[in-house]
Amino acid sequence: MTEEALRAVDVRKTYHTRGAPAVDALRGVSLTLRKGERISLLGRNGAGKTTFLRIASTLLVPTSGTVEVFGHDVVGHPEQVRPMVAVVPQEGKPFYHLTPREQIYAYLRARGIDRETAKARVEEALDQMGIQEVADRLSITLSGGQKQRAMVATVIATEAPLLFLDEPTIGMDPFARRGVWDSLRRLTNKGCTVLLTTHYLDEAEALSQRLYVVEGGRILVEGTADAIKEQVGGTLKVVIPNGAALKEELASFGKLVSDGGTVYVITGPERINEIMELAMRDRLAATVGPVTLEEAFLQIVGRSIDMDEG
Amino acid sequence: MAYSLRWTGMRIFLATETRVQLHEWLAIATGSLVQAALLVFVWVLDPTLLPLTVIGAMVYSVFLIGQRVLNEAAYIRIDHKLNELYHASPMSPESYFLGMSLGILIAYTPPLVVLFAILEFLHPMSFAATGMLVLALLGIWAFSASLGYYISTLFKDMKTIWPYSSLLTNLFGIVPPVFFPLSVLTVRFPWAWVPALLVPTSSATALIEAVAGLQTLSPTEYLVAGGSLAIEAALMLLFGIYWARRTAREV
Repeated sequence: MTEEALRAVDVRKTYHTRGAPAVDALRGVSLTLRKGERISLLGRNGAGKTTFLRIASTLLVPTSGTVEVFGHDVVGHPEQVRPMVAVVPQEGKPFYHLTPREQIYAYLRARGIDRETAKARVEEALDQMGIQEVADRLSITLSGGQKQRAMVATVIATEAPLLFLDEPTIGMDPFARRGVWDSLRRLTNKGCTVLLTTHYLDEAEALSQRLYVVEGGRILVEGTADAIKEQVGGTLKVVIPNGAALKEELASFGKLVSDGGTVYVITGPERINEIMELAMRDRLAATVGPVTLEEAFLQIVGRSIDMDEG
Repeated sequence: MAYSLRWTGMRIFLATETRVQLHEWLAIATGSLVQAALLVFVWVLDPTLLPLTVIGAMVYSVFLIGQRVLNEAAYIRIDHKLNELYHASPMSPESYFLGMSLGILIAYTPPLVVLFAILEFLHPMSFAATGMLVLALLGIWAFSASLGYYISTLFKDMKTIWPYSSLLTNLFGIVPPVFFPLSVLTVRFPWAWVPALLVPTSSATALIEAVAGLQTLSPTEYLVAGGSLAIEAALMLLFGIYWARRTAREV
């Protein structure tokens, strides 16, 4: 097996719907996942994340470009790709008239996993997702979060070499989300590769070794969470309420963002003391904190939207 | 290799689907209510026609089973998105389609067994007639399940799909001579035997009734009925497999 779990080159997808204008869902996406990595795709609704996941998992044919999974072309040889992948579909639900235990076991057996291994993996997945106590109840009786956990358990139990998870923790409580994170970390430690989409930026940051920010069918930024934060001018922000009068002087310390009378200075740790001294000189309160991934995301995507509109 | 069939996971998916369906025992029971009501009406009006009605009820029931494939495949795809779970896996699309179709057939077999017992009581079937009954019903299942699976893939909303199931059931189960003998139709419209025997449900009914000695078919009518049912069932099943493979991924 190649060290690259997934390689996508210039992937484009245009949806044609009768009576509606064509929609370019992907406009030249290129990315690479190395074996054992956990990668997140971030983007607004409709950015193209799910389209990419569906193409990479053989569920959708791209308009152009190539995607290879462990060296196999997903368009030309889907039958060679499918045994190596497993997908948690967005808003997927388990069979309502099966219990989580039955559903996971049946799915593993349908994938060709032997009885004993399947039984062991079912128990492991139920434990990891924290749904042992509801494992023998029909899924129709479970809460939304429990149903979602059953879906994730079904897929992680496969231990497929490449896992695609489309918003896997949607509707889950914080404990359950952390259960999913731990499971995904365990799987990548075993050598599996994970590509997920999420709108929870704390999740993306906690879980992913690299992130891709997608907007309008294109990748805007790629890198670690810290590298992405750097792209907005620094990893720290100084917040100065009523600091509008200092804007000119503050401009030399980093990137300025104004919100009403409040000034945000995005900068690096080396300039913090100088900014604080300036604020104290004018008897203004100032607080220092890290730039969050959410702030970086909003900046990067907002900039892209402004450019597109411009 | 491109045209070879792969059956990975079919047995398990068949069992899964059967189990899922058996949980909906009420749907299985109520699926035979119309047929049961018709049997009561005929018993009251003209009991001599009961064996024909029971055969019609069996053919109609099996056609309905195929239409349940329509609803199940659409429900799994639109509402649960479980098709994505299975299509992005080693299980082949043909296993998915046939596993589901056979699973539903198995779950809905008990009412057929009851109808067969009634038929045996009313009109004992010979070995040949029983064989013809089984073959003809399998042909109807293949035709209807494939048609149902095909239609299930065409729409993105369950509400759009519901009327098609009802339309097909009436078109294939009520309009052609399924619940009434072919001879009733040909007395008034002598030419009608050709279109009637080209429709799989009425050709199946005519074949079963003829082999069971309940109606007479000429050698030509046997040939048309048998040929059309066999060809339509086989072609539709092959098309269903082709379509399952084609729609395992969107274009």
